[in-house]
Amino acid sequence: MAVETDVSQDGKKLTIKIKGRFDFGKHQAFREAYERQPRRPDAVIVDLQEVTYLDSSALGMLLLLRDHAGGDEADVRVVHANCDVRKILAISNFDKLFDIS
Amino acid sequence: MADMHIDHKVLSDLREIMEDGYLQLVQTFLDDSERRLGQLHAARSAVELGAAAHSFKGSSSNMGAVALATLCQELEDKARHPPLLGIEDLINRIDLEFAEVQRFYRAEHHRISAG
Amino acid sequence: MADELGLTVLVAEDGAVDRLLLAQIVRRQGHEVFTAENGQQAVDVFKARRPELVLLDALMPVMDGFEAARQIKALAGETLVPIIFLTALNEEQALVRCLEAGGDDFLAKPYSAVILAAKIRAMDRLRRLQATVLDQRDQIARHHHHLLNEQRVAKAVFDKVTHSGCLDAPNIRFLQSPYALFNGDLMLAALTPSGDMRVLLGDFTGHGLPAAVGAMPLAEVFYGMTAKGYGMAQVLREMNAKLKRILPGDMFCCALLVNLSMQRGAVEVWNGGMPDGFLLSTGGKVLSALSSRHLPLGVLVAEQFDDQTEVWPLAPGERLLLMSDGVLETADDQERLFGEQRLRAVLADNRNPALLFDELLDALQRFGGRARDDVSLCDIRMLGAQLPQPMAMLPQDLGRCSAMDWSLSFDVRGESLRRFNPVPYLVQLLQEIHGLRSSAGTLYSVLSELYSNALEHGVLGLDSRLKCDAPGFADYYQERARRLQVIEEGYVRINLAVEPLAAGGRLKVEVRDSGEGFDVQQVLAQPLPEQGLSGRGMALVRRLSTVARWTEGGRCAHVEFIW
Repeated sequence: MAVETDVSQDGKKLTIKIKGRFDFGKHQAFREAYERQPRRPDAVIVDLQEVTYLDSSALGMLLLLRDHAGGDEADVRVVHANCDVRKILAISNFDKLFDIS
Repeated sequence: MADMHIDHKVLSDLREIMEDGYLQLVQTFLDDSERRLGQLHAARSAVELGAAAHSFKGSSSNMGAVALATLCQELEDKARHPPLLGIEDLINRIDLEFAEVQRFYRAEHHRISAG
Repeated sequence: MADELGLTVLVAEDGAVDRLLLAQIVRRQGHEVFTAENGQQAVDVFKARRPELVLLDALMPVMDGFEAARQIKALAGETLVPIIFLTALNEEQALVRCLEAGGDDFLAKPYSAVILAAKIRAMDRLRRLQATVLDQRDQIARHHHHLLNEQRVAKAVFDKVTHSGCLDAPNIRFLQSPYALFNGDLMLAALTPSGDMRVLLGDFTGHGLPAAVGAMPLAEVFYGMTAKGYGMAQVLREMNAKLKRILPGDMFCCALLVNLSMQRGAVEVWNGGMPDGFLLSTGGKVLSALSSRHLPLGVLVAEQFDDQTEVWPLAPGERLLLMSDGVLETADDQERLFGEQRLRAVLADNRNPALLFDELLDALQRFGGRARDDVSLCDIRMLGAQLPQPMAMLPQDLGRCSAMDWSLSFDVRGESLRRFNPVPYLVQLLQEIHGLRSSAGTLYSVLSELYSNALEHGVLGLDSRLKCDAPGFADYYQERARRLQVIEEGYVRINLAVEPLAAGGRLKVEVRDSGEGFDVQQVLAQPLPEQGLSGRGMALVRRLSTVARWTEGGRCAHVEFIW
């Protein structure tokens, strides 16, 4: 599966893992990953370890996720981003909206 | 009954499939096959012989005349590999076999048209 | 057992018996049957009746089955007409020929009705699949055609919106992809009333119409506000708010906005999400990179939007090189990207600035293996200070007659000084006076100069001598931002008074600040160049107005215009 989800035991932490190209083709699957949860999690972790490529539609998807998770109150972390991906996130200054590591 | 000459399963399928057209089929076969046999005898080259045998084989097998069809297959194969040894003999056996088949189907024709 | 598929079938078989039998078998399965005795007849019947399925004997007189099959397939064209060859299984040579001639399947003698029925059903499935594919292809082609048309219309409307720009100014050289609008790339340029040149390079997420649709309101804001003389911060806030309001949550616009002030010898920059722009010396050396410090437009709500700009000195002859991400992302046939290092190499190798543009395009083409059609580039050369041209402002709603005898006092106090610049509004107001319309640029320049002096030197107490070199420049503007951020007291007061004269009228302007004042005589006594860049632009004001003097120890500037 190109988009995998994992919820912690207590249902408070949702991890969404993306594999391959993070682009418009993942749009549907990504949305479903967070919209289909019965409870709104306290924290959402987006794992980009196996992401090979990321474009502006991916940035848009992250924005939608953030809105859904509570906007300014949301705790959304982007983890395991490789060098290239981090550069893209840095140019757009997305580290001002997301916790990126 | 002509068991060795005609496959009865094929025969009964034919009767079922053709329905009212069975008579016409039998008639067509009788006319057509005589002509084909004539072609066989008149063939002047191995190629012509092979082609005639091939066509005859087709209609024979469709009519359930399995032994006849087999003989035609033999003739077709032989015609492809000169020199043509034993051709005369094979053609004779075809004549004989055809006579049996013809007899059977004439009887069929008579049986049906008589009502 | 017979499926009611109801096809039209052609049975071409030279043996009378076989033909009769086969036709009957097929008819009983619910199909309409046409027959043929030889290959030529088969082709003729096919032309006349266009059956949906063909049963073809391989060996037939006049024209054999293979040739008939070839001709039938040719006649069928795109439509799939399945051809089932009737042949004996032990003739492998013949089987190969059947396939080569276009046959889709075989049926052996003696004919089995069951097997034939299965084959017909399978072939029919294929036939219908092909028909569906062709139909969908045609639908797609039609939709595509409509879409192209819609885009043409969108582009035409957009071109009208952007025509008021000044991208064709002599000091700008640019390259814009013909597909720019539909890549989401935007390039706008306009002059402020005081002659500053403002350029926006933008990149919308998405492609096609969604990107184009966002670009239009943005362009309207850019052109409208720039023409009225609004500052960069205000224009940025308005553009951000507009996009935030109208775009869906996952759409935004990366933007690089620059304002070249010939008068101040400086360029003001805001970069949200675009690749680095570069400041280049007259010799082509990179002076600094203009990096992205902000989130793109349309992401943050107004309360959180950061309109902080950076200011760099820029002397005449020095240049700005701006580009879209198409440049860095140009890929070669091994999917490697052009990237920043190669770009820097091109910049370093360049000897003649006039050729930089071409050298860069050339490097991109050699790297990518083809001419680039998705790249936006802009090269802007800084000009010397000029008198503002008499400018045509945007057409206003003309009042019945202009008020000729009035006065107005406008105070901006305390915290309001942080965000609010009254100059554009006041100039708008002065447009009501017919006689002043052609001097809009002049009025704007003078009022801006006086206001910014009053604010920066008067209220904030900044020393313009800081602006003597590049680091000093940066320090000055950083300090300006810092002091504005914490300001609580102080004011700038603008008084306007209009009175009629025998043939025309007079406008009196007073700009007063709450600062310490300055030694007017000393500043005026300095040679002109020093006054220009780091002085209070007093020479400019005196040149542009009929009367100009400073009173109250420098805290009040009086300026008059007579028409």
